Amino acid sequence: MIVKNLTGQFVDLRPINASDAEITLSWRLSGRSRHLNAVSGDLESQLNWIANRPESDFDFIIILKNGLRVGMVSLTEIDMVNKNAVPGRFLIGDEAAVKGKPVAVEAMSLVYQLAFDQLNLVRLHGIIAEKNLKMIKWQVYLGMKVEGVLRSHLFQNGSFENAKVLGLLEEDYRKITIPRMKALMSV
Amino acid sequence: MLDTNKIHEIIFEALEAVNAEREEGEKIIINSETILFGDEASLDSLDLVSVLVDVESALLDVCGFSVSLTDDRAMDQEISPFSNIHNMTKYILSIV
Repeated sequence: MIVKNLTGQFVDLRPINASDAEITLSWRLSGRSRHLNAVSGDLESQLNWIANRPESDFDFIIILKNGLRVGMVSLTEIDMVNKNAVPGRFLIGDEAAVKGKPVAVEAMSLVYQLAFDQLNLVRLHGIIAEKNLKMIKWQVYLGMKVEGVLRSHLFQNGSFENAKVLGLLEEDYRKITIPRMKALMSV
Repeated sequence: MLDTNKIHEIIFEALEAVNAEREEGEKIIINSETILFGDEASLDSLDLVSVLVDVESALLDVCGFSVSLTDDRAMDQEISPFSNIHNMTKYILSIV
């Protein structure tokens, strides 16, 4: 793949590595990740998960300019034939450190730039737990469209939950996403 | 009629929706001085977008036309309209 480190104004993204196992596990076990897929909960499993990331995936740690690790985000299932991929595993683990800063917006902006400007993809897509209303609202405001519902698709917190399917086309990224992200980052 | 009081009411309601998803002790103290985004802010990016979506939706209901709070005009402001409730209110009044 092309580039593994992404640099922004507020945050940098670098590939996840073994040194991130402890902090990423703590984020995944926190209440804030209740809408993400469950994890086994031990450090060894997290180390194995990191060690077995496919070469074709981009799994990033989100780092503030002062070096503090605050979250994670990925671009996976990259299909260079059909020109699409899945952004996901998006989690801000250190909520207090990012208040008032457009960290989530810039981190996602950097992933979108990687997808559309460097990999020349035409579509990004993914699923979000139907109960994760704030994330759905956020993604739709930033250009994604809800394309359907997968019924009882996710087993979370002891029950099967619906998932919304969302997609972002390159033209909507350029027309809707970029201006809105720029405005949100101009604070 | 859209005036300062009505806009405050709309923004407060949007912030109440953010508070509804927060634990006790993490809730935003809502008043006309509440800092939204920037230093010492109450919101993160996801919260801010949630507020913008709810405010834009309420403005559509009140004004009868859509209002975008994140177009080029917002970026041209010397002081960010997202910094606090006072500036957001002032900005909304200037564009509707």
